[in-house]
Amino acid sequence: MKNKLGHGYFLRQKITPWLILLIPMIFTLWLKYYPILKAVYISFFNYDPIQQPGEFVGFENYITMFQTEYYWQAWKNSFIFLFLQLAMTFFIPIIQALTLNELKRKNAISTMYLLPTLIPTTINVIIWRWVWHPDYGVANQIVKLFGGEPQAWLSDPELVKFCIVFPGVIGGGIAVLLYLSAIQGISPDIMESASLDGCTGWKRLWYITLPNIRFVIFIQLIMSVSTAMQMLDAPYMFAAGGPSGASTTQGIYIYNAFNRDYNYGRGSAASVILMLVVLVMTAVQMHFENAERE
Amino acid sequence: MKKEKSQKVRLSRGDLSLKIASVIITVVSMLLILFPFVLTISNAMKDNIKIYDVPPKLLPDPAHSLSMTVDYSNFKGSESELETALQNDMVSAMFGIYTKLDRESIFEIKFYGVQNGKTIFYSRVHQIELQMEKDYGIYEGTVLKPQTLLYKDRAQRVSNIIGYDFNVEGLTSHTAPEILQTETMEKLDTVFAKKFPLTGELTACKTTKNNMLLLESFVHYMKLPQYMYSSNPTIARYGFMAFVGNTILVIGFAMISQVLLCSICGFVISRLMNPRAARFALLFFLGAMMIPFVSIMLPQLIMYREMGAYNNYAALLLPFLYPYGFYVYLFKGFFDRIPGSYFEAARLDGASNFFLYTRICMPLSKPIISMIALQTFLGNWNDFFWAWMVTERQDLWTLNVALYNISNNVSTKQNALMGISLVTVLPVIIVALIFSKQLKASIMSSGVKG
Repeated sequence: MKNKLGHGYFLRQKITPWLILLIPMIFTLWLKYYPILKAVYISFFNYDPIQQPGEFVGFENYITMFQTEYYWQAWKNSFIFLFLQLAMTFFIPIIQALTLNELKRKNAISTMYLLPTLIPTTINVIIWRWVWHPDYGVANQIVKLFGGEPQAWLSDPELVKFCIVFPGVIGGGIAVLLYLSAIQGISPDIMESASLDGCTGWKRLWYITLPNIRFVIFIQLIMSVSTAMQMLDAPYMFAAGGPSGASTTQGIYIYNAFNRDYNYGRGSAASVILMLVVLVMTAVQMHFENAERE
Repeated sequence: MKKEKSQKVRLSRGDLSLKIASVIITVVSMLLILFPFVLTISNAMKDNIKIYDVPPKLLPDPAHSLSMTVDYSNFKGSESELETALQNDMVSAMFGIYTKLDRESIFEIKFYGVQNGKTIFYSRVHQIELQMEKDYGIYEGTVLKPQTLLYKDRAQRVSNIIGYDFNVEGLTSHTAPEILQTETMEKLDTVFAKKFPLTGELTACKTTKNNMLLLESFVHYMKLPQYMYSSNPTIARYGFMAFVGNTILVIGFAMISQVLLCSICGFVISRLMNPRAARFALLFFLGAMMIPFVSIMLPQLIMYREMGAYNNYAALLLPFLYPYGFYVYLFKGFFDRIPGSYFEAARLDGASNFFLYTRICMPLSKPIISMIALQTFLGNWNDFFWAWMVTERQDLWTLNVALYNISNNVSTKQNALMGISLVTVLPVIIVALIFSKQLKASIMSSGVKG
């Protein structure tokens, strides 16, 4: 008798949490997991949105996609974007946080560093499109000042990626605060013993502070790799993937596939490949994260 | 004591160059961060002509206010004929000055009509209003000439939009100035004598400097959506505020739904599940977050369209109805730290799960709730692509979508664009500065990119 009652109680205790979680889980399945399965499904069809799902073509979408140069150019663009970001903008928040840590009034200055986060990409694009304007923009004025030739900037396939990444050089944003909190989290004992050993100034920065925040830097690095692969808003708003496809990232490739070419199958195939690449990168990140923690 | 002293000497030698470099780098960074703001403000305060000056100037030119008095004592005709003549003259004068004296930075035109020594007519216009009327209003796409300005009832419609006071008995609220500046008179003569003839006789005019007019430009920039999308009844009525309202609705909904959903999930995972089940549930939610938006935007769009969630609010709000894995994780971590004795004591008294959640967890989790709400705000303030893909109707646009569309319209002038951008971003910056402490704490404790 007692046993039975206990059994029922434990069963209820086991089921209740799942019942509460049922609705959020169904919504997650429906809104996030189902679409990615649907992408896999659509990618095997010559998809027709009116007479679904259209003709089954197997891997043909993937094969034809891999054979077009435009697709590989989109990957190349994504990697060039990544490279430019790492070379031009990645280290700037680190420097800003390191130098900010040396100063007084950290609070007020770090508030200033928040400002770039609050400007949405749309407005940033409006501002910088005006800066890059070939006739009236500030950029060409500066180039002329140093005796250079005026450039077409966003209309120049060679320069467009540089122009899209360049606004990041002002730095600031959330990254600065993350680095700053990591620096402040370094135990004062380490700092004190370092200074007693005569490790001060630049040496302290290089040998003590940087190695101690390398984990945060690493996480940010992985993040920027993943966001560079998913780049969509900025290149789309700056140049709509142009000129002549020079700023077409994976995101814009997928968008163009279904919005311009009405080829849902190819768009889905590209979505699935991108998903796999991002998943592999995330797995690598988690692997390193775990290794670092242990 | 001795030790401290020697340390100080060493510190000052080693640290001095670092300190100087730090100050320089920080100052340069501050200037770089302020650069977009300075550029935006300075461009928003220039007029449509000066903005294209090469090389661009940092500071806008001072704004001028022009008032002119036109005498109608010799006018013969009925009262309504006089009113029509005044309206025609006012429109001719304003647009004549706007097109012919475009390099004079005349931001305000005051037009007075007098008859037999009484002020009978007054109208006042800001330059940006004229610019809007020219770009999107009644004169959209027309060359400004007397024939086109006064064609049919155009002048009457425009003067009704700009607004005027008219009373043959004399206006009490306004008196026409009688000062005549010869320099201004010469300039105005070149406008009226040759190009835009007036019915009345110009008797007085003067220009004064008034830099407050540069700030007034922003009020008129806000009316830009009303002009651009005048065919949409909601935009025509609420203008820019319609976009603000949509943005508040979307972000507010996201905040509320995320706080509710994630706290419930976090509570269940943290307090009601055994570790293995909790691990599975958490990974389920975190895994959903790993799926990049870019790879599901196409199937998501197809799916939403089939459900009828396209071009309506459902399409904008549905994506927030599932709990974000990362926030669930943060909530779980927070609830894990609440001492277990609280829950045991309540359970012994026969408290239900609902009671535990509402009366024990929620009152304790104010810091984490504000943190999640701020994170949701930061994460969605920048949202563009999904909202852009699913909205065709202008009255559904969020600020980002609206700004993108306005910026892509060929007739949008750069000063108006910069002005409306500044109006959009400034309130958010002010609010962020007020809550900067909470905002920074939220970012630092979560440790992830928003």
